[in-house]
Amino acid sequence: MVKNAWQRWLDRRLPRARQVQLDQRRIFILPTGYGVLYLIVAVLLFFGGVNYENNLILALCFLMVSLFVVAILHTFRNLSGLMLRAGGGRSGFVGGQGSLEVVLIARRRPHRALWLRWLDQAAQEVSVESGEETGLWLNLPLRRRGPVVPPRLRVESRYPLGLLRAWSLVALDQECLAWPRPQESADCPAEGGDRERRVARAGQSGSEEFRGLRGYVPGDSLSQVDWKGYARGRGLNVKLFEEPASGRLWLRYDRTDELPLEQRLSILCYWVLRLSRENRPFALALPGAELPPGQGDEQRQRALDLLARHGKGG
Amino acid sequence: MQALDKALAQVGRVVLGKQEQLKLALACMLAGGHLLIEDLPGMGKTTLAHALARVFRLDYRRVQFTSDMLPADILGVSVFDPDSGAFNLREGPVFSQLLLADEINRATPKTQGALLEAMEERQVTLDGLTRPLPEPFFVVATQNPVTQAGTFVLPESQLDRFLMRISLGYPAPEVEMELLAGGDLRDAVRRLKPVIEPSGLVKLVAHVGKVRATRDLLDYVQRLLEATRADDRLVAGLSPRAGLGLLRAARAWALIHDRDYVLPEDVQAVWPSVAEHRLQPREGGSVAAMTQSLLQTVPVVRG
Amino acid sequence: MARIYQVPSHARLWLTLAIIAASLPQLSDGPWWQAVLLVVVLGWRALLDRQRLAQPGRLVRLGLLLATVGATFYSFGRLHGPEAGSALITSLFALKYLELVGKRDAYVLIVLGYFVCATILLFHRGPLAALYVVGCLTLLTASLAGINYSDTHARRRQHLTVASAMLLQALPLAVVLFVLVPRVAPLWNMQLDSGQARTGMSDSMSPGQVSRLTESSELAFRVQFQGTPPPPDQRYWRGLTYAYFDGTTWRQARPPGWSDADTFYDGRGPAPPWYRGLRAADRGPAWEYRVIMEPSQQRWLYALAVPFTDLDGQGLARDLRLVADNPVSGSYGYQVRSVPAAAEGLDLNGPERRLMLDLPDTGNRRARDLAASWRQRYRDDRELVQAALRYFREQPFHYTLEPPRLSGDTVDGFLFNTRRGFCEHYASSFTFLMRAAGIPARVVAGYQGGEPNGDYLQIRQYDAHAWTEVWLNGRWVRVDPTGAVAPERIELGLRGLVEGRADAGGDAVAGALGRLPVLFRVQQWMDYVDFNWQKWVLGYRQEDQRALIERLLGAFTPTRVALALLGAVLLVTAVLAVLVLARRRDAPARPLEREFARLRRGLARRGLNVADCHSAAALEAAAARRWPGAAGRAGHWRRYFEYLAYRRDGDPPAGELRQLRRRRRALMAGLKA
Repeated sequence: MVKNAWQRWLDRRLPRARQVQLDQRRIFILPTGYGVLYLIVAVLLFFGGVNYENNLILALCFLMVSLFVVAILHTFRNLSGLMLRAGGGRSGFVGGQGSLEVVLIARRRPHRALWLRWLDQAAQEVSVESGEETGLWLNLPLRRRGPVVPPRLRVESRYPLGLLRAWSLVALDQECLAWPRPQESADCPAEGGDRERRVARAGQSGSEEFRGLRGYVPGDSLSQVDWKGYARGRGLNVKLFEEPASGRLWLRYDRTDELPLEQRLSILCYWVLRLSRENRPFALALPGAELPPGQGDEQRQRALDLLARHGKGG
Repeated sequence: MQALDKALAQVGRVVLGKQEQLKLALACMLAGGHLLIEDLPGMGKTTLAHALARVFRLDYRRVQFTSDMLPADILGVSVFDPDSGAFNLREGPVFSQLLLADEINRATPKTQGALLEAMEERQVTLDGLTRPLPEPFFVVATQNPVTQAGTFVLPESQLDRFLMRISLGYPAPEVEMELLAGGDLRDAVRRLKPVIEPSGLVKLVAHVGKVRATRDLLDYVQRLLEATRADDRLVAGLSPRAGLGLLRAARAWALIHDRDYVLPEDVQAVWPSVAEHRLQPREGGSVAAMTQSLLQTVPVVRG
Repeated sequence: MARIYQVPSHARLWLTLAIIAASLPQLSDGPWWQAVLLVVVLGWRALLDRQRLAQPGRLVRLGLLLATVGATFYSFGRLHGPEAGSALITSLFALKYLELVGKRDAYVLIVLGYFVCATILLFHRGPLAALYVVGCLTLLTASLAGINYSDTHARRRQHLTVASAMLLQALPLAVVLFVLVPRVAPLWNMQLDSGQARTGMSDSMSPGQVSRLTESSELAFRVQFQGTPPPPDQRYWRGLTYAYFDGTTWRQARPPGWSDADTFYDGRGPAPPWYRGLRAADRGPAWEYRVIMEPSQQRWLYALAVPFTDLDGQGLARDLRLVADNPVSGSYGYQVRSVPAAAEGLDLNGPERRLMLDLPDTGNRRARDLAASWRQRYRDDRELVQAALRYFREQPFHYTLEPPRLSGDTVDGFLFNTRRGFCEHYASSFTFLMRAAGIPARVVAGYQGGEPNGDYLQIRQYDAHAWTEVWLNGRWVRVDPTGAVAPERIELGLRGLVEGRADAGGDAVAGALGRLPVLFRVQQWMDYVDFNWQKWVLGYRQEDQRALIERLLGAFTPTRVALALLGAVLLVTAVLAVLVLARRRDAPARPLEREFARLRRGLARRGLNVADCHSAAALEAAAARRWPGAAGRAGHWRRYFEYLAYRRDGDPPAGELRQLRRRRRALMAGLKA
């Protein structure tokens, strides 16, 4: 209850945005343990100065207290004006880690020794000099499939004296995807492929490797003659293709066994990875979404993203 | 610049009532960038490209993209020569000075990729042989609105390779009347007289780089770029490369208006066509409206 | 030993320097083994940092700790008390440095460092010591800044700059706190027994044994008068009275059977009758002044005759001198109002009168005879006193700082044989003669004179003096027989006297006083600084605070003090916050941008609000639409603005800016019409 109320209050006070500039509304500040120790020493010196009737010790105590006050301002200043912008995202598999980039921009003054972390993660330190921009990749554990919105980002600094801790809880509007965790399965949930390769005609799918032309020799299939070239007066040639390792494969959701949704996606994920590793072209069909055939890294990425977003509304 | 005015007037004869888009297209060429025209079929995209080629006397080719088109159909093929026993490169249509890539989104991503790579690098590599593309080299690609069936959407990373995206849209009623009355435009295009030679065009492109952009202007451009990056409604802001493109387009625009320095108005004029196709809205909505609103919030002169 | 050294290397220099700097004063004050300890620790640490030596194990560290504690106990005989405590803390500070591994250790070390700085101030209080401690603080703060900035790109200098800047910024607030934070009375008594015997008065006086007092030019105290100070021959700073003479030595004494209350009043409890009597006689002219004592380790204080104070921290004795509650171990200031006429408020009866006439039963026969002969000749005490002074003046007495030694009947020996001596000899023998003649008399010890420096007087040890007080007409009257012999001693002070003589024959004292005028000037100047330091910093006490607040706020009430403190702290902090947090713009607006903004504002004043996304041309268009008559001038302005902003690089020269301004004014003027 309390936690929820706190979250709601935070969301109202510091709503999610793509870019956030830290200002007094967003910065909290409290002494650290050492700051308290320092103040205790100052108080002890005060009593010492009073008892020994030593004005210099009192002056030392007052100087320490003033330094503490100045440190409040400086610690605050170290965060104030810092601009944070949502950067890129790197997706990962469920159970692994994704990472999101936070770009820190120092417009007016340097911001030093900043510690950044998602609320429940380890922190990373970074400094940005005046007028510079720095990107920082922060890992994020992926626990559930789908788009992962990071918790609030805690930006903390104790610079310059470590007596005070200034922090802000920033909600950056960014996300990365948690792909399903691949699950091995012997049966490829696909149609097409080897068995139907014969049906795939040359030049139709784009998945065959075009190699070049050679002169027509009687007996060649007429369907493979480069008629366009012939029409342009280039002579009668036959298109040569290099047979790809397999034909085009349609990985289909409805071909997977009757298993829970997540598991079926995991199996598809496994096959997407495997086919990509073998550098074979494939297509993907999910209920309500389709990925046209293709191969290579981009295809793999798209397939994984599609699997991640399936059923997650976007 | 008189020659440019003349060129515009020439093209204006066949592309009626689209003065603004013509100027943008011309600016895009002068800025050395490639142009993407997004429109429904039959809006005069081909006419525009053809006319531009005519007035600059450019070697012009047109490729109609289809789903069964292969990269080789664009770039060229290695032909086996039985006498020498080796493959020879036979140049594809990309080896022209102005290539009209019609309905580029009908081709498979692979074929699109081949073209876009050639556009970017201004050379073609096939079987280990590298051939530079001619000078100047422009691509005018047309694209059907993405909602049409049987299309492959151009990926965002590829869209960045077009300096501008424009759309012609329906003609105004009175222009349409004129159009209907005027007869076959194809003949009209063929009758267009060249105004500037290709070598002159190359010089003009070089000249664009010399158009002055002062610090006050660069500040403004920078503020615009910054604003896109800070805008919550957009997925991501404009890249530095886009920024350079914007500046170059603004310079070309200034040159068309016979100035050797850039005014904020030049930036504003080319802004939508340079920015819109590079930006993606997060939650639907019109990118055009968003880019327009940025123009209305970013101060031209700080103060 | 796989622990990572977490204190960044760029911070270590400052940390090491801070440790050395903070320990140095203690090394010079404390026992020798501390220096050895520090050298060992620093050496070990250096080897450790170069990985030549392992981190000392727990046993070694424990052994070192025990050895340190033992050595402290051996040197001081205890572990508590300021001296032993400071030595212990400084040693622990050094030992902690050996243990330094992580950031935590560094923090503890630095916080200990602040403590060590305070121990320096226990024993050194000069302005230079304060500066030195501020230096140590800067080093400690730089170390703090260093350990909190673990970036390897950080540079050493940076930390020192940050630390100095922050301390400078902290200074105003510290001054406000120093001035306004209410001083609390000590919660429990603490005394420093630094054991250093100081030169100064002693509680007995034996004329005949050469005093070395007069050779010291050390400062005894300073006095600042409100108004003009009295002339030199009136400046008799009373410190002690000696009432009992055993034949060779004068001592303090009080009448037999009398209690503390009969002779001393410190403001606590009801005032005794004699104090009330004095108070009742408080009339006539008075001197008001403030005395700042150097540490003397004694309780007696110095003041002109019949000194009244607020009795806070000191009391008044029946023999008209001030006595501090505690020995003066640090510099100590008190405010006095001296009323010469109040001396009439005392009486002299019974045992006290007997004490003031008391002499040893035997000895100094010739002096007694001389006194008896005067008594026979002069019935009137006053005439007798005059006769005695005449005797000293007319007989061949010499004032000298190096009198021959006396033994046996010292009074007779001086009066009739040697006749060479200084104030103690004269005061002692004069008092003896008076008592022998039946006039109550006593010796007063203190200082006489004082050298002006700035707006205050310096009284040095060589101004020490002794004179006599005799009971005449119902009151104590000061008689200075030395003045009869060497009036210049009183008029010029010893320094003047010695200088005068040194020209003729040369004198050992002259060297001690410093003959070089430049050196003397520097000395005086340093003393001036020192005096103000004593007065405003060391001697700034509750009363001063009270006076200051009364002057500033009219009255000294807790609410006013609290409000003043709060207000001043808030004000200073606010000013500081503005300074520190000042939002610098991305870059200051350039002249053209300002000019553009001015036109926009001008148009807005005339009712045309133009959004800031408008360019110069858009501005022109908007103005021309609103005021078609001004279209020409608007275009005029716009063209020139565009020319300056977009056609040429760099900021326009002043002349062109003026031109633009003229065009803007012309445009605005056109709108008015």
